[in-house]
Amino acid sequence: MNWSPENGMLLLPLALGWLAVWWLLPREKPRGRILGGLIGVAALLVLQATVLPPAGDLVHDVMFYAFAAAAILCGGLMITDKNPVYAALWFALTTLAVCGLFLLNSAPFLAAATIIVYAGAIVVTFLFVIMLAQQGGIGGYDREAFQPGMASLLSFALLATLLFSLQEWGGIDGKAADEARHGQFVSVPTTVQANLLSQAPESNPREIGSLRVLGRSLFTDYLYAVELAGTVLLVATIGAIAIAPRRSQGHL
Amino acid sequence: MQFINDFLSGQWNWIVGMLPEAAKPYAMPGLVIFIVLNVTLGACSYLILLERKLSAWMQDRLGPNRVGPMGLLQPVADMLKLLLKEDVIPGHVNKFLFVLAPGISVFTTFLAFAVVPFGPVPKGLTAGDGQFPFIIAPGIDLGVVFIFAIGSLAVYGIILGGWASNNKYSALGCLRASAQVVSYEIPLGMSVVGLALLCGTMSIEKILLFQAERGIYGWNIWYQPLACVIFFIAAMAEAQRLPFDLAECEQELIGGWHTEYSAMKWGLFFLAEYTHVITISFLTSILFFGGWHLPFIAETTSNYSGVWMVKVGVLLAKVSVFIVVIQMLRWTIPRFRFDQLMSLAWLCLIPLAMVNIVMVMVVKQFELNEWWLLPGSAAIFLAAGLMGTQSTKPFARRVAAPIETPGHGGHGHAHAH
Repeated sequence: MNWSPENGMLLLPLALGWLAVWWLLPREKPRGRILGGLIGVAALLVLQATVLPPAGDLVHDVMFYAFAAAAILCGGLMITDKNPVYAALWFALTTLAVCGLFLLNSAPFLAAATIIVYAGAIVVTFLFVIMLAQQGGIGGYDREAFQPGMASLLSFALLATLLFSLQEWGGIDGKAADEARHGQFVSVPTTVQANLLSQAPESNPREIGSLRVLGRSLFTDYLYAVELAGTVLLVATIGAIAIAPRRSQGHL
Repeated sequence: MQFINDFLSGQWNWIVGMLPEAAKPYAMPGLVIFIVLNVTLGACSYLILLERKLSAWMQDRLGPNRVGPMGLLQPVADMLKLLLKEDVIPGHVNKFLFVLAPGISVFTTFLAFAVVPFGPVPKGLTAGDGQFPFIIAPGIDLGVVFIFAIGSLAVYGIILGGWASNNKYSALGCLRASAQVVSYEIPLGMSVVGLALLCGTMSIEKILLFQAERGIYGWNIWYQPLACVIFFIAAMAEAQRLPFDLAECEQELIGGWHTEYSAMKWGLFFLAEYTHVITISFLTSILFFGGWHLPFIAETTSNYSGVWMVKVGVLLAKVSVFIVVIQMLRWTIPRFRFDQLMSLAWLCLIPLAMVNIVMVMVVKQFELNEWWLLPGSAAIFLAAGLMGTQSTKPFARRVAAPIETPGHGGHGHAHAH
């Protein structure tokens, strides 16, 4: 990938975001949360020139900003909260906010499935474990972040690669030249790496994201990925059953 | 009947005419939400009276008969008591989550009702054409999945209520209850997959119409009787109704995750439970028993004036039958033990639902006559019953008590069953 000036526009917000998260991560000696929050807001403000979608319908925009702000805020609170129970609850709220974004982008099945699987089952399992493990108050490993600088730096490096590749992808993929020049990456891909089973996409725009179209896409365009994921899950299930101790051995 | 129609639409047009132009599109949804909320709240309070009367009848007692004629004003007295009681918030609780928990319970159960039709939903309804929609959110493509998604959030009410109470009994009750709710979500979801395959849709309105257009022999109960049983059992367990209420066990144990709740916050948990019962009954009668369809009087083709009243009446009659069945089950079946409850979900309902889905797939794939599903379901049911009996050898050890292994006897407390 070639370095372009547009990529440079992402460096400042990424650095600011890293600073904010690093400042806010739990420490033995409490730090001012306001300062960290302000740095985070500044990072978002710098970033918004690049990533924000063009203004459209008013209701849609209001809901988009509400869900997006909720997702970022709850995600930030999740990693900076000292109490692991609260962190799990913030995670649940983050999931719900992201599901709201899915709904806005006409993917209702994805939203419902994510709520059922993540908010309804996985976070509940987290909460179980945390509640059962936290009998004697908050442990030392929760009061203080482990290697906060390195952890936040690595996660922001990951975020940077994601943003850069998204920007690159948005720039080449059938976009108008001036849009690409401004580093916008907001459009959907026009082509799917299709296999032989692929069928023509639904012409009715209301149908996109519906159960019928989703099922057809999963079992034609993405057949190999779906089958592979199913096999991996099956192997994981069998492994879990094999590892779990039998009741007659007295450990369960 | 015609004059009632005319009167209602005349009044409505007069009310809408007085509204400012910007508010007009929201008038009809507002009316529907207003009606649903108030009818459900009123129905909940009288369901409590019905439940107490039925319990009394089944136990050869009189039941509440002091307030009003035949005790009919008892719900009013109950509500006043709940509202005027001292609202205790114990010390050392997490106040925010403690107050939030009953709210989550009520919110999720009411939100699930948004996609349940309570009458003949007009076909091809679009927002703003002024027809009464008989459903809060018409045209949701994923009605059933939406209900499961919202229902899976209801477990937060339980978890937060139990955890925020700062009480060991509450915490234990919440662990039990949430394990139960999370487990029974799986058979609940899987039981309707066969239905979706048969009807070709997940929308509740479309499933209803699909059955109504095919007449009484098109009701899904003929093709999916096993799925109906699984759905009903799993939904009762989701709502924590007896015989699945062992989180509370109100006769012998402390009251589960809502031990520390009092007054209206306690009442909200039970409002959620009763709303859940109403939703279950609506869903069972719509998904499996044809909804508002009844031969001769409420068909898709019948168009005498006031037919919507008959259709709503038919649907409500079916719903009341299921509510009464749920309430009578309370004094009919003994409560499950916790391990029995878990094995019922994981070892019985989930495999049965899976086999049921495979059967529907086979029938659809090989284009067999759909009536094969009726004997097929019966055969699966009988086979499962045969395998479950203790005398059948290969499956007998499942229900036997765990064997004490030698060598661990010295520290029995280490066995956390």
